[in-house]
Amino acid sequence: MLHILVNLIGLAFLAGFIGSISGLGGGVFIVPALVIVFKMPMRVAIGASLISVVATSAGASVAFVRDGWTNLKVAMVLECATVTGAIIGAYMAGIVPTTILEILFAAMMLQSAYFTIKKKGDDILTKGDPLAERLQLGGQVPDETGKLISYEVVKIPGGAALMVVAGLMSGLLGIGSGALKVMAMDYIMHLPLKVSSATSNFMIGVTAGAGALVFLSRGDVSTTIAAPVAIGVTAGALTGSRVLPHLKVEWLRMVFVVILILIALEMGWRALSGI
Amino acid sequence: MTTPDVQTAASKSNEDRILRFWTPILLRTILIVAMIVLVIGLILCATYEPGYLVKRYQEVQHSRLMGRIDLGRFWTDVRAGQPHTVIMLGLFILTLVPLARVAFCFLLFVKERDWIYVAFTAYVLAGLIVGVLIGSSG
Repeated sequence: MLHILVNLIGLAFLAGFIGSISGLGGGVFIVPALVIVFKMPMRVAIGASLISVVATSAGASVAFVRDGWTNLKVAMVLECATVTGAIIGAYMAGIVPTTILEILFAAMMLQSAYFTIKKKGDDILTKGDPLAERLQLGGQVPDETGKLISYEVVKIPGGAALMVVAGLMSGLLGIGSGALKVMAMDYIMHLPLKVSSATSNFMIGVTAGAGALVFLSRGDVSTTIAAPVAIGVTAGALTGSRVLPHLKVEWLRMVFVVILILIALEMGWRALSGI
Repeated sequence: MTTPDVQTAASKSNEDRILRFWTPILLRTILIVAMIVLVIGLILCATYEPGYLVKRYQEVQHSRLMGRIDLGRFWTDVRAGQPHTVIMLGLFILTLVPLARVAFCFLLFVKERDWIYVAFTAYVLAGLIVGVLIGSSG
């Protein structure tokens, strides 16, 4: 039995580590690994995945918030959009055919991977739009030499619209949608990539937390699986949060591209296998 | 004499400082408590009865979960050291981390009278409660 526990904690550590540096949560690894390697039913895998996203978010945010990487106000504004999307998604679940959504989502992830490969570095803005300035959404991050640079935020309605879609996908497909959150902040609102990743990490805990509470109260979470996963993921997320500040943006983009392609493959697999 | 704009900026800066200081402490404290309870639960699992973990693992592979929690018996089972319930308690505590964080921000913004952000956080809190209710009844 010990080797199963060690394998579960090891897998979860890796998921928490990559999930925290990319801002995607780690569920993308947990679900297929539990289903394919550990032969767990999909329901159990999704329950453990939701717990893992909450743990990644909390574990990574301890350092990201303290060190100023998380933009708390951007997170609070955009969480309104995500929660709205998630509630609409919960109502629409069972009405909309999820296979079509999964294929659409996979296509969106591949397109994002293409744009991520094309984009180089960060384009940091020094002037925000009036709404962002009214809400005081700008912030400061250290550059590669450690010097603090100020950034501003633009196009909040556009970012919020993509966040509604992210929430909708979470409600309909039971996924964290961290990739859409990072895209909204990085591409549309022009936040630095590391800030987008840390802020996405902070935000995904809220929607995953609500989902996890539902799973827990229904008795759909296996304690035998979720406990080692939660412990491993937390340790991985804490480690990842110490590594992110030292990563080059180009490396982070590459990690992001690989994960986007993995998500596309996972969604395609879910759509075609009918799980 | 400071202008209203300067006063607002100072208040926002104070709000930001409080958020950056207390949010990580809140997250870390709940996280540590959850991890301690989970580790105790796993140790109880390992010592509960010979082969218990292997048996549970195989049952889960065949979709045999423990089912809904009986809230009436929850604390009795936790006090009796029932491993499944102790782990469930740890998972509940962990799940409350993001919700506690939103509630903390809401209270801070109320204290600072930052009504725009009070509205944002209140909306998120209400949305989460509605989401959990829809999900639980579905």
